[in-house]
Amino acid sequence: MGERYRNRIELLQGTLDLLILQTLLWGPQHGFGISRSIRANSGELLQVDAGSLYPALHRLEKQKWIGADWQISENKQEVKVYRLTAAGRKRLTEERSRWQQISEAIGGVLNPAKKEGAS
Amino acid sequence: MKQWWNWRKREKELDKEIQHHLRMAATEREERGAKPLEAESGARREFGNVGLVKEVTRDVWGWRWLEDLFEDARYGLRVLSKNPAFTLAAVLAIALGVGINVGIFSVLNGIALRLLPVSRAHQILSVNQIFHHHVSRNVHNGSSMFSYAEYLDYRDHNHVFSGLLAYEPFVEATLGGGHMQPLVGALASCNYFEVLDEHPAQGRGFVDSDCAAPGQNAVVVISDDLWRGTFAGDASLLGKQIILNRTPCTVIGIAAQGFTGTEVVANAFWAPVTMQKELDAGMDRLSDSNMSWLALLGRVAPSVTIEQVHADLSVIAARIDQSHPGRITSLAIARATLVGRPDEREFLIPVASVVLAAFGLVLLIACANVSNLLLARASVRQKEIALRLSMGASRWRLVRQLLTESLLLSAAGGVLGSLLAFWSFAGVAHFVIAHLPKDFPTLALNLAPNFTVLAYALALTLLTGVAFGLVPALQSSRLDLNTALKGDGALTGSGRKSGRVLRNVFVGAQIAVCMILLLATGLLLRGLYNAQTLDPGFDVKNTASTFLNLETLGFDENRATAFVGSLRKRVADLPGVLEVAQAESAPLSNDHSGDHYLIPGRAEKVAMEYNYVSPEFFSTVGIPIVRGRGFEANDWRNGTPAILTESTARRLWPGEDPLGKVFHDRETGGLPGTERVVVGVAKDASVSKLGEMDTMYVYFPAAPTRNIRSYLLIRFQGNVRDLNKSVREIARSLDADVPVQVTKLEDGMEVWRAPARIVTGLSGALGGLALLLALIGVYGMVSYSVSRSVREIGIRMALGADGSKVMGHALRQAMRPVLIGCLIGVAGCAAVSWVLSSLLFGLDAHDPIAFVSVPVFLLMAALVASYIPARRVMRVDPVVALRYE
Repeated sequence: MGERYRNRIELLQGTLDLLILQTLLWGPQHGFGISRSIRANSGELLQVDAGSLYPALHRLEKQKWIGADWQISENKQEVKVYRLTAAGRKRLTEERSRWQQISEAIGGVLNPAKKEGAS
Repeated sequence: MKQWWNWRKREKELDKEIQHHLRMAATEREERGAKPLEAESGARREFGNVGLVKEVTRDVWGWRWLEDLFEDARYGLRVLSKNPAFTLAAVLAIALGVGINVGIFSVLNGIALRLLPVSRAHQILSVNQIFHHHVSRNVHNGSSMFSYAEYLDYRDHNHVFSGLLAYEPFVEATLGGGHMQPLVGALASCNYFEVLDEHPAQGRGFVDSDCAAPGQNAVVVISDDLWRGTFAGDASLLGKQIILNRTPCTVIGIAAQGFTGTEVVANAFWAPVTMQKELDAGMDRLSDSNMSWLALLGRVAPSVTIEQVHADLSVIAARIDQSHPGRITSLAIARATLVGRPDEREFLIPVASVVLAAFGLVLLIACANVSNLLLARASVRQKEIALRLSMGASRWRLVRQLLTESLLLSAAGGVLGSLLAFWSFAGVAHFVIAHLPKDFPTLALNLAPNFTVLAYALALTLLTGVAFGLVPALQSSRLDLNTALKGDGALTGSGRKSGRVLRNVFVGAQIAVCMILLLATGLLLRGLYNAQTLDPGFDVKNTASTFLNLETLGFDENRATAFVGSLRKRVADLPGVLEVAQAESAPLSNDHSGDHYLIPGRAEKVAMEYNYVSPEFFSTVGIPIVRGRGFEANDWRNGTPAILTESTARRLWPGEDPLGKVFHDRETGGLPGTERVVVGVAKDASVSKLGEMDTMYVYFPAAPTRNIRSYLLIRFQGNVRDLNKSVREIARSLDADVPVQVTKLEDGMEVWRAPARIVTGLSGALGGLALLLALIGVYGMVSYSVSRSVREIGIRMALGADGSKVMGHALRQAMRPVLIGCLIGVAGCAAVSWVLSSLLFGLDAHDPIAFVSVPVFLLMAALVASYIPARRVMRVDPVVALRYE
């Protein structure tokens, strides 16, 4: 039980955190909204499933990188809305630079000639 | 609790969040043109398994264990509710065991653990001093108490108390003036009510001027009970005088309702400590700076710690020590409770531990009982457990599951038992107190449950749950999967071997513990019967006595002699009175005097109890003189004659004629003691302790002026109540303030039997409970093993075995652990029964009658308990049995 989801969480963990934090940088959002933003901004390429999204949101909340408030939506429903905290903002910059390094490193591995040529 | 609440809230929030997600997704699909129903199912499909998403999200919260616990509890509740008979039996057994333990603990709590019944009681500290090395000190109440001078020193030089009070506890006084009644009160320092913050409901408490000088201010505050009872709530009592020990005292206040002081014995009055000499004539404790008689209580400011108090007061103690060479004092400071002084604790702790141990034994039986039920049931559940193990559940997880069930059982039992205890124990305690001897003082006990009692109940409940659940849980989770799943291992024999051994051990243990309690009860009952039928060696039916304690009433020797002389003469003239005598101590009055004597030819001094008696004593109480003569009227003048008891004479001069033998009082102040000559030997009688005939005892002749403290003994015919009335009238006509209460010597024996009676009642109740539980245990085990071996029995019967033989086999199997338990119990009781010897009135602590009849009784009861279920064997139909499952 739950094995399928767990594996995927582990695979995506660092990346998903980064995507969520980045999405919230543009303003508070509820869970569904976050998943839609990620999908739209990735050109419909990245689909975050609920079994990864909600554990990630709750974990980030527990780590105090994001906060949550309950708001009343237009159709009078209570909605849990997540926002970025100051700690989360700091975390985002760290994650971004780390991602940058990784993607550069991977890029370097994938295109060794180019890199050598540049140096 | 809060965590659980939080958990529920988050659970709900997660639910809302996911619902919202689904609705949004559905709306999105609808907007793209899907039909509502399609949109919804599509959203769900995209989302995935809602339950699973919830679960993995919850995992993030880190409360997995809590969830497991709820799951276990839910499962446990389901299992328990499916076996109502088992659940009921287990819960009742635990409720009984936990209930009586919580009840007795609430009594101990009321006596020794509760803070004082005053406002902000946690600020009140009790101060005691402990002397090291040998210190010569006069002690009136407890050795840890203080003298008045010491109190003033501590009061005036400490820096930690907002107030320090002193009082003399247990002051006995006779209320005079037409109300004639013995009272217990306290002599208190004049800040008493202020420090305790218990201001009298009417009138005032003491002020400093009340304590300004010794004997100056005869004022008194009385208790609400005394005011409402004896004075019938007389509204005009304030300002009037009442008579205490012949001293008129002005009532200045009536204490708040329910305030009875700071001791276990309820106070009826409080007088200034400076009135000590007036209220207890002939004793001057106030000016004796080396006298322990005052208890100290101080109120500290909230921020002051006990360590700070200790440090501050120790400086004063060290300074006082300097002026008493060789004296080293340390202080014991603790939150004040009703019973808390070191000497009181020394007495209370062993008594409390014996009582708690006896009650704990019953709980132990209950635990063994439930353990057995669980073990029995575990083998029924073998298949279920084996299935769970084979599905990959860890053993630890299973043990946890089984323990949760046990804890559910113990929680139900504990709650039920505690409720029963809280509801019934105050009643039980009142019943016991009501059956104490008549002149037993009023007790100020609060038995209501408080935090300590609840904590004890909770701890006991949890401990019980683990105690009876752990062994069965470990045992039943250790399974051989192969045989268990196939099912025949469990059904051919009566359970696996190790399980059966364990069950037998539990049954044996129950019987052993039960045997100890029953034997103790048996011994006590035999002792009581002994005491009831015992011939004390003197006439208890036709002799009455009254105690004349004229000393405390302020009589001097001349007045006392005049009073007693007239009283004796007029009592002797009463119709029905045959003879009147006097003695310093009446037989069995529990009023002993003893000393050490020098016997020529012996290096060691001999300790003997002594009694000064008038010449009529022996004939009045009916103790025959067996050798020599009794006392004559002028014997006291010669100062030397003595009468020994037979056994004393035998022990002092074995094989010789005691008449004419000489012994001496011990020397005092360098002077040799008086020479005594034995003139007679009296028959042995249990005059000192009930049931003890051979006390070392000597009689001396009393001088006719020895009247200040004596017993009047009256040999009479007719009704003791009439006699009491007539003697009282005579006493009142002579002096209105002398209390007189004439009782038969037989009634004096009752005082001796009361403690034994209470202990017998207690151990009898416990023994009965233990018996009930143990028999249920035996019954349960036999009926279980019979039902488990139906197939085996069926095969035997089919092969032609005789029904009664098969039953005999079942009975023998059942009785083996019972017999072993019996033997262990008898041996155990024989080893410890000496602790009861003071309550047995001379009965041997290994009394053969008790030690034979009780085990026989228990064995018979166990036999019946196993016969009833074993009879079912006879009705087994081989055909049905072999098809069984």
